[in-house]
Amino acid sequence: MRAPNEIDFWRGMALATIFINHIPGNFFERFTFRNVSLSDSAELFVFLAGWSLRFQTNRSTGVPVFGLVLRLGSRAMQVYFAQLVITEMAVALLAAAAVYYDASFLLDWHNAAAVFSDPVKTHVGMILLTHQLGYFNILPLYVVLVACAPLIAICARYASWLVLPLSAALYVVTLSTGINVPSWPIGGSWFLNPMAWQFIYVLGFVMAGKDGLGDFVRRHRKVFFALGLPVIVCGLAVAITHFSPRPDSVPSPKLFFMFDKTFLSPARLIDLLALAAVFAGSFPFLMRWIPLPVRYCSLLGRHSLNVFCVGSLLSLTGQIVRFAYGGALLTDAIMVSVGLAIMGIVAWLPEKRDAFRKAVPSTKSLPAS
Amino acid sequence: MLAALLGGTTSVFAAPAQDQSRAPAMTPDCAVPENDIANPAPLPNLIAKLKKKTTIHILAIGSSSTYGTGASSSVASYPSRLRPILVKALKGVDIEITNRGVAGEMAQTTADRIIDQVALERPDLVLWQLGTNDALARVPPDEFEATVRDTVSWLKAQDIDVVLVGLQYVPRFARDPSYVAIRRVLQKIATEENVLYVRRYQAMRFIERMRANERIMSADHFHLNDLGYRCMAEHVASAVIINLFAKPVHSHE
Repeated sequence: MRAPNEIDFWRGMALATIFINHIPGNFFERFTFRNVSLSDSAELFVFLAGWSLRFQTNRSTGVPVFGLVLRLGSRAMQVYFAQLVITEMAVALLAAAAVYYDASFLLDWHNAAAVFSDPVKTHVGMILLTHQLGYFNILPLYVVLVACAPLIAICARYASWLVLPLSAALYVVTLSTGINVPSWPIGGSWFLNPMAWQFIYVLGFVMAGKDGLGDFVRRHRKVFFALGLPVIVCGLAVAITHFSPRPDSVPSPKLFFMFDKTFLSPARLIDLLALAAVFAGSFPFLMRWIPLPVRYCSLLGRHSLNVFCVGSLLSLTGQIVRFAYGGALLTDAIMVSVGLAIMGIVAWLPEKRDAFRKAVPSTKSLPAS
Repeated sequence: MLAALLGGTTSVFAAPAQDQSRAPAMTPDCAVPENDIANPAPLPNLIAKLKKKTTIHILAIGSSSTYGTGASSSVASYPSRLRPILVKALKGVDIEITNRGVAGEMAQTTADRIIDQVALERPDLVLWQLGTNDALARVPPDEFEATVRDTVSWLKAQDIDVVLVGLQYVPRFARDPSYVAIRRVLQKIATEENVLYVRRYQAMRFIERMRANERIMSADHFHLNDLGYRCMAEHVASAVIINLFAKPVHSHE
């Protein structure tokens, strides 16, 4: 187990926030940071995912390229299988609740209806990730990003200066043309467009580096802190006033000037970068004053994939509980506390398992008698 | 009919009084008194666009009732059924309807998608069917109200008319406090923002009570069946057409 660190902490906080935000209407939703900023936990999560990709590639320094591709590729498969499993579990959870409460409309929730009404096509769509359940659409984005991670890592190894311009070019083309990955069998497109969101992932990766942009940002930390403050204030104003630019009042290409979540419009991106610039380095301070929540979030962050999967299912469970028992403050309080506790246990169990392993050496490592 | 519309003056913008004679006739299975169908409100931007354009692009967005859960096929969904009715009523105008219904979606997510769709496609009219899922997920009415009101005023500010299509009538939730509260909120927003609101609940309840043998719900007692979707399309069409041809009160002969 690694000691609590800044990245794990913020990742854990993003995970806890996503869990709370994905139970719409619950009381505690109003205390999450999207109420006071333009960007939300999805941006933070993807940015930090890019950041931790840097740690993984750093650890692979010296490993042959093929080894690196295998290592990152297996991670992509792991995330892909996680997405398939939680989607199927979500479908089963809705089905079970529909049977138990005799409430067939629960089969509808979050785009699940097609699984039951058009199962032939929809099952293919689920495997292809072109059919996504609402609130289960962050992981498909993550699958695509992690699948592209070998390309990013190879590019970074041989021409590190090229990573950011390539990513920025794809981002600009995507926002200029409005292209997106189509969804199927239900018409539409991905809620989080991977061709736009890859930019924040790559920015995380590049900024975590010790050279190039990462080095530049670190050397001018105070400048970025000063630049970030007014941006955060603007984000706060936008969140409070619910302001959103209108397409008819902005120049073309319009997606650059709107606050579009699907295409991660620059305003949302800049807001997240400003939050990162201002809050980076606050970790030791937080660790000193609120050690328990910080340790808890770091614990979640160390096991982000498991916690994310369990958190998604807990959010859905929370929605069903709210339907069945109403949305009273007490219900919400119990639900959120139990949910956060389960997420903590899910993260703690593998650490305990590893601790046992270390304490009792396995038979393989014992000398032959 | 369109000639009359094109010849109209700005006076059509004013007014709640309706010229019901121009409304497409509803089929006997779906007929409902006009008062049960919609809260009247003008559609000034759609009228202005009808004067200039020959193709009108409508965005139908919302949840399962828009997607068409319970229908025998996608052509039986309400947006698909709506198109021929509008084409017939507005002769000479081509109508394109994009169906962006996502079953089980709540207003907050749909609001995000509306911003995206408007930026990409700029529809001439938005039909937003909403409320049922928020009511059942127990989203606080004030939160729901803020979401809907923000989006409605955002659309109005850029001269896009919006029609709110309300919750379906489900006997099981007739007395459900959240269901009642969300319906009230939609009514309130429609009145205060002066936007057209299709009172699906009342229309469906009328059919269920008056024509007990008629089945407009599918076997799950929650979603509509093909007939239900046809009626929904007829009701939305009727509300839109009547309010397109609304006459100002003072011009009554």
